[in-house]
Amino acid sequence: MTQDPAAPKRAAASGTDGGLENADIQGLVAAGYGRLPAARYLLLRVQNPVAARLWLGEIADRLTNAAAPVTHTGLNLAVTFAGLERLGLSAHTLGGFPPEFAEGMVTPHRSRMLGDTGASDPARWRWGSLTSRVDILLMLFASDEPTLADLEEATATDLAAAGLASVARLDTVDLGDREHFGFRDGIAQPVIEGFGRAATWRDSIKAGEFVLGYRNEYGRYAPRPAVAAGADPSGILPEDVEDSTVRDFGRNGTYLVFRQLSQDVAGFWQFAEREALASGQGSAEKLAAKIVGRWPSGAPLVRAPGSDDPSLGKLNDFDYGNEDPSGERCPVGAHVRRTNPRDSLDPSPGTDKSVTLVKRHRILRRGREYGAPLELNPTGSGRPPVDDGRERGLHFICLNANLRRQFEFVHGTWVASRKFAGLYDDADPLIASRGPGNDALTIPDQPFRHRILHLPQFVTVVGGAYFFMPGLRAVRFLASISRSGAQPGG
Amino acid sequence: MPHQIAFTAVATVKPESLDALRSTLREMAADPAGNRLIPFHKLNGVHFARFFLLEPTTDVDGRPIAGQLVFMADWDAPLEQRIQELAEVGTEGLSRLFSSCEGYASGGGEPGAAIQYLRRHAVSNAAVYVNTIGLSASQVIDEGRLRDALEDYLDQDPDLRSAGPGAVRRALVDRVASTAELSWAAQPADPPALAWKIRELAHLLLVPLIGVLLLPVIVVALPIWLVVLRLHEHADVALDSRPDPARVSELAALEDHGPVNQFTAAGFIKTGWFRSLTARLVLFLISYGVRHIFNRANLAGVKTIHFARWTFIDGGRRVIFASNYDGSLESYMDDFIDKVAWGLNAVFSNGQGYPATRWLLFGGARNETAFKNYLRAHQIPTQVWYASSSQLTALNIANNRQLRRGLRGAMSDEAASAWLRRL
Repeated sequence: MTQDPAAPKRAAASGTDGGLENADIQGLVAAGYGRLPAARYLLLRVQNPVAARLWLGEIADRLTNAAAPVTHTGLNLAVTFAGLERLGLSAHTLGGFPPEFAEGMVTPHRSRMLGDTGASDPARWRWGSLTSRVDILLMLFASDEPTLADLEEATATDLAAAGLASVARLDTVDLGDREHFGFRDGIAQPVIEGFGRAATWRDSIKAGEFVLGYRNEYGRYAPRPAVAAGADPSGILPEDVEDSTVRDFGRNGTYLVFRQLSQDVAGFWQFAEREALASGQGSAEKLAAKIVGRWPSGAPLVRAPGSDDPSLGKLNDFDYGNEDPSGERCPVGAHVRRTNPRDSLDPSPGTDKSVTLVKRHRILRRGREYGAPLELNPTGSGRPPVDDGRERGLHFICLNANLRRQFEFVHGTWVASRKFAGLYDDADPLIASRGPGNDALTIPDQPFRHRILHLPQFVTVVGGAYFFMPGLRAVRFLASISRSGAQPGG
Repeated sequence: MPHQIAFTAVATVKPESLDALRSTLREMAADPAGNRLIPFHKLNGVHFARFFLLEPTTDVDGRPIAGQLVFMADWDAPLEQRIQELAEVGTEGLSRLFSSCEGYASGGGEPGAAIQYLRRHAVSNAAVYVNTIGLSASQVIDEGRLRDALEDYLDQDPDLRSAGPGAVRRALVDRVASTAELSWAAQPADPPALAWKIRELAHLLLVPLIGVLLLPVIVVALPIWLVVLRLHEHADVALDSRPDPARVSELAALEDHGPVNQFTAAGFIKTGWFRSLTARLVLFLISYGVRHIFNRANLAGVKTIHFARWTFIDGGRRVIFASNYDGSLESYMDDFIDKVAWGLNAVFSNGQGYPATRWLLFGGARNETAFKNYLRAHQIPTQVWYASSSQLTALNIANNRQLRRGLRGAMSDEAASAWLRRL
C-alpha cells in the first residue's frame, strides 16, 4: 500500500495543535500511562446522589487531564448511563445520548451481536449485569503500589461518606508489553490527530472518532448530549460546536467500553500443543501464532511466515490485501487480522480506499492485565503449562466516540461474526465465544487449508459496561447539579 | 435454473381486526419456518418471505390511511406454481390473515380463495435487486451441501495433503461423481428459460434505444429538471429526528438472530408532482441498472445484499423499501454510506425528511448520523420473516457456486490451487 500523498500528515510537535482542548480532556484519552505500572479500577454504585456529587466535586480537581505531565499518579473517572441518571442529569440531556449507551451492554440484542452468550452470558457476570448495576468507574494509576495505595486513600477511602458503595475493586498486574497468553500486545494503535505522536496516514485518525465535539472521519460531529443554557447558569459547560444556543455536556468526553475478559491460558497452550501434534502443522507456537496473527514476539505472520523473528516484534507497517490476500501467511480469520483488517476488505482490497473504510472502525485500547501470570514453559521442555486454578485475564478498556460504529462494529461484525470476510463458521479463534456453527478455524495452506473444528473457548466475559468519560468541565457540571437532584429547565 | 420473481401483495386491514391480525402474526413469528399456520419450510422455490403490518397512519396532507397487511416473497418462477403451493401449504394461515382484511371471501378451507385474493392484491414493484439473477433457491441449498461434502472429504483423507493441487482437485471431482446424492453437481445448472432470456435481452436493448430516440426531449428537459431540482433541494426540510428508543429496541429484538437479516421501511414521497416524477424516473433507471448491470453478486461494491425491492403503495404516495442482507444493520448502513450513497440519495431524497442532498446524488447519506436516524425512524418491524438458507451469506452462496463450477473441465495446477482456496 502506498500512502496517500494528499492525506494530511500530522505535525509531530506540540500536544495542543489541532485545536484539542487538552486541559479539559481526561488523560486516559491521550495515553495509557505506560510509566505508571500500578493500577486499580473501582466500580462504584451511587447510594446517595447528594453526597456522591460532593465527592465528585472534590475529585474533579484531582482528575488527570491530557495536558498535564504524568509523573507519579493518574486519576480518571467515567460514568454509566444509569450513573448519570442517578447523579441527577436531566432527562433532556440524558435523551441526547445514543440508545446503545442508554441501553447499556447487556440487552438481549446486544448480547447476540457481541457474542455474549453461553459462558459469557451477562446473566453469569460478576458486575455490569442487570442485577449488578455499576454507576461510576474510578481508574487509579501510580508509579508503584504504595503510591497507588495513597491515591486510593486520598480519593476513595470512605465510600459510605461519599454516598457510594463498592461493586468491585479490580486489581491489575503489569506484564510489560505482553499479555497473559504470552504475546506482545498493543502494537497497532490508532493515533489521534492533534495529539503528540507522529503516525502513518493509516493509523492517524480524526479526533472526532475518539473525542466528542471534534470532526470525525466523515468530517462530522458525533451526536452530543446538550444542556439548555439556562440549566447551566454559572456557565461551566462550553457552547455546542454547532448550536450556540445550547451547552455541550459531551464536549471532550468519550465512551469507554470496559469488559473483564477471563483467559484460559493453560487451555490455550494445551490446545495448541494437542492440535499441532494431531494435524502435523508444526509447533504449538506456530499454531498459536496462526490463531493470533502474530508470533509471541509480536512479529506479524505476513512478514515472518515460517518462524518467530523478534527483530520484527514491533512492526506495524504491513498490510494484508497486497501481501497475503488469501491468508496463507496470516489466516483471514486470525485475531489481529480481523480486529484491524488494514487494507484487506471489500470493495477494493489492497488499496487506500479499503483502508479509508477501516479507519471508520478504529478503537483506542487502554486496558490492563489482571491476575498472576502462568509460567508458560514451566519445565523448560517446551511442554505446555498446567492450569493452576487461579484466574487471570484482561481488563479490556477501549475508547471511542461512536459505540455503534466503532467498538460494536469491530466486535460484532469482525470478531464475533463467523462470516467475517467470506468465512463460513469461523468466529475470532482467540477471543470469541463458541457455539454450534461458529467454532471452526480455517488455516489456509498448500495444497489446501487445515480446518480445525470444535475450537475451545479461551476467553470468557465475566463483567462489562458502557461508560461515558466526560470532559473535566462536564464532571464539574455533574457535581454542581442542585441538591434537589432536579436540574432546572433541563 | 429459473429466474427469481419478487412478489408483493398488499391488502387493507379491517380496523376492527387489527388486534386479531397482530396476534396471528405473533403466532407465526414464534417459528417462521415451522409454524402451523404457514410452515414456510415446506415450500419449494422460496428464498425469502415476509409478512408485515403497516399500521394505520395519515399521509403528508393529513388524510387517513388504513392499516395494511403486506406479503413479500423472493421466489423462483413460475409464479402461478409458487402461489398455488403457498395457498395449499398455508391454507389455514392465509385464511386467518386475510379474514382480517377487506374483501376476503372465506374459502371454507379451500386454497382457491387465498389464490384469488393474492392475485387480486398483487402490486408491481418499481425496482428489484437480485444478488445473482437465475440462481434458484434449491440450487443455493444444494450447493451449500456440496461445499459441506467437499470440506468433509478434505478432512477425511489425510493422504491428499501430499498430493499436488491438480491431483487433490481430481480426487474431489471423483468423489463427487461417485456420490449418488451429489452427481447433479457435475452438470451445470439449467439456464433460465429461453423465452425469459429473450425478453431480458429485448429490455436490455430497447430501453437505451428509446433513450436515444428521446434524446432531443431529454436535452431540453434535463436543464429544466435540474433547475427545478435545485429549487426543491433548497426548499426541502430535512428532519433529523432521533428515532424513538422504544421503537429501536422493538426493531432490534428482530435482528441478528443469524448471519442474515431483514430490513423493511416505508416513507412518504414529498408533496408535489416533481418529487413523485423524480422518484419514478430514478427507480426506473435503478431497475434497469440492477436488472442488467449489477446482477452478479455485486451491487456497486456491496456484496452483502441478497434481494431488495422498492414498491410504490397508496397510489404512489408512499414507497416501501425491503431487503435481505448479511451482518448487522450498522454494517449495512455503513455499506450504504461508504459505497452506494449516491444511489440511495437519488431515491430516498424524494422522501419526506431525508437529509439534505445536492444535485440529487451528493450529501444526503454522507451525513452519517442524520441518515442512520432517518432509516431507523422509517423502519417498520418485519413481524414474520423467513429465509430458506438462513445460515449462508451472499458471499458464501457466491463461493459455493464457484466451487461447483470448478468441478467441471480441465484445470491447470495454478487454477486448481486457486479453486482449492475456496475451501
